[in-house]
Amino acid sequence: MSLTIESSRFGRVEIDPETVVEFPDGLIGLGGSRYALLANDADSPFLWLHSIEDPTLALPVTNPHRFFSDFKVELTDDDGERLGLDDVTAVAVYVTVCASNVLDDFTVNLKAPILIWSGSGHQVINQAPGCELRARLFADAGREPEPAC
Amino acid sequence: MLRITRRVGERIILGDNVIIEVTEIKGQSVRIGIEAPRSLPIYREEIWLDVKRENEAAARSAGEKLPDVSAQLKRTGQ
Repeated sequence: MSLTIESSRFGRVEIDPETVVEFPDGLIGLGGSRYALLANDADSPFLWLHSIEDPTLALPVTNPHRFFSDFKVELTDDDGERLGLDDVTAVAVYVTVCASNVLDDFTVNLKAPILIWSGSGHQVINQAPGCELRARLFADAGREPEPAC
Repeated sequence: MLRITRRVGERIILGDNVIIEVTEIKGQSVRIGIEAPRSLPIYREEIWLDVKRENEAAARSAGEKLPDVSAQLKRTGQ
């Protein structure tokens, strides 16, 4: 069955069912239970997590490993147990991107990454030390690189 | 907001399956134990609020077009 949304950003978008992610607990503070992971530009490191229920809601996301080589996610024991990740090997990790007019001001939220596996997504609180809520994505040449986690 | 006075060791039950217990009081700090269904995420309010604000900021931050950053990725070897 084909799925189409009328996105306020992108107009009519045909959703590939393979890209649909169910969020049983929604995104933290935003809710929503179904999002699609849209890659509008294959060359860009940015993707969109687009709500299927709300045509105006979409968050830019990216793979943090591409920017922070030592990034890692650590969960509390309770979260680990709740998510049942022990037996899961292929987990995709994304972080939300706060875009800006200036590239140097782009930040990502390393504190609350989004884990996706088997069509199911969870935004979690990262316990790894040093994970910032607003980590600069492009530390420019004159600045010390941001310590990742 | 409902306000209930409890002593250490006393509990509050929400619905049939969430139990909140005051386990310790030390000065201005109260230690609370929570028993809830495994599927229910539990957050400290300040962290939940921080993440909610960041999620909202991200959702507001960009229109349909994000910049081409291939040059930056090359420059920094990312």
